[in-house]
Amino acid sequence: MIELYAVTDAPGPPLPGRAVARVLPSGRLAVVYAPAVDVEASADALWRHEELVEALMEQTDLLPFRYGTRCEDEDAAERQVEEREAELSAALERIRGAVELSVRVRLAEVPAAPRSGGDSAGDYVAAKARAAGFERAVSDGVHEPLRLLARTSRQRAADSPSEPLRAAYLVDRNRIEKFALEVARLQESRPDLRLLCTGPWPPYSFIDA
Amino acid sequence: MRSKVLHAPPDLDLFASDRRDIDASLSRRINADPENLERGLAQLVLTIIELLRQLMERQALRRIDGGTLSEEQIERLGSTFMELDRRMEELRTQFGLTEEDLNLRLGPLGNLL
Repeated sequence: MIELYAVTDAPGPPLPGRAVARVLPSGRLAVVYAPAVDVEASADALWRHEELVEALMEQTDLLPFRYGTRCEDEDAAERQVEEREAELSAALERIRGAVELSVRVRLAEVPAAPRSGGDSAGDYVAAKARAAGFERAVSDGVHEPLRLLARTSRQRAADSPSEPLRAAYLVDRNRIEKFALEVARLQESRPDLRLLCTGPWPPYSFIDA
Repeated sequence: MRSKVLHAPPDLDLFASDRRDIDASLSRRINADPENLERGLAQLVLTIIELLRQLMERQALRRIDGGTLSEEQIERLGSTFMELDRRMEELRTQFGLTEEDLNLRLGPLGNLL
């Protein structure tokens, strides 16, 4: 079994020194892989996988495989890439020169959730409507200006009412700094929110865009 | 690894509450527990009911926003949703489930609820 890391342009990027990974060229593309090791899935194992993908990402544009993507052997991997070459090449073109940046927005103070006990039905509905309106306001005030700096974006369902925005942005490598400055500017204008911007990440959210 | 933080607020801890989620979601995928089948089934059914409840609630809020409902209708909708919310809480308690248990992680799509 082999574990897959990423698809890149052929002939593939130089590999970081200590890595056990290898490159398998296939037509216009190349697959970076390594012999699969049976270790228990854990946050540490996931980070080790991520570290290699990120080291590759510094050298080249790539389509990252999700952690845990495995294949029988080199022949099987090559067959799969050959079959999907057009699709993978198109996806690689879409992310060329760009990386993924993540933005999460949380409320500085968590509001009391509307509860069924106690309040009147009118209050309950009003509180729910306020929460929904607030989410829209955050989307307009924070997501929109950031979206304009990105090639494309993906908004993800919020984790909790105290996190009104969680989004990924596909940003040109030379605009990362500008994007981070915009996040800082938005943070200054919204003291009621807390903005966290991380990256650059491999474009996990945009490989099928 | 290089720092991945491009911008962070001073109170970064605010975002750390879901750090345990990586381990939790990994083990949830792997450790299916046959002895807890009944609870697992209840969890699945209640998750779907909760999804429908939230969809209905959002739809109702949109209608309220649209201004087409009378005060009386809004009051009635509000009572219905409060009652549903209360009943869901009772069912959750009965099966020993938390609000978070009724959420499904849908990978890149985010969470179900």
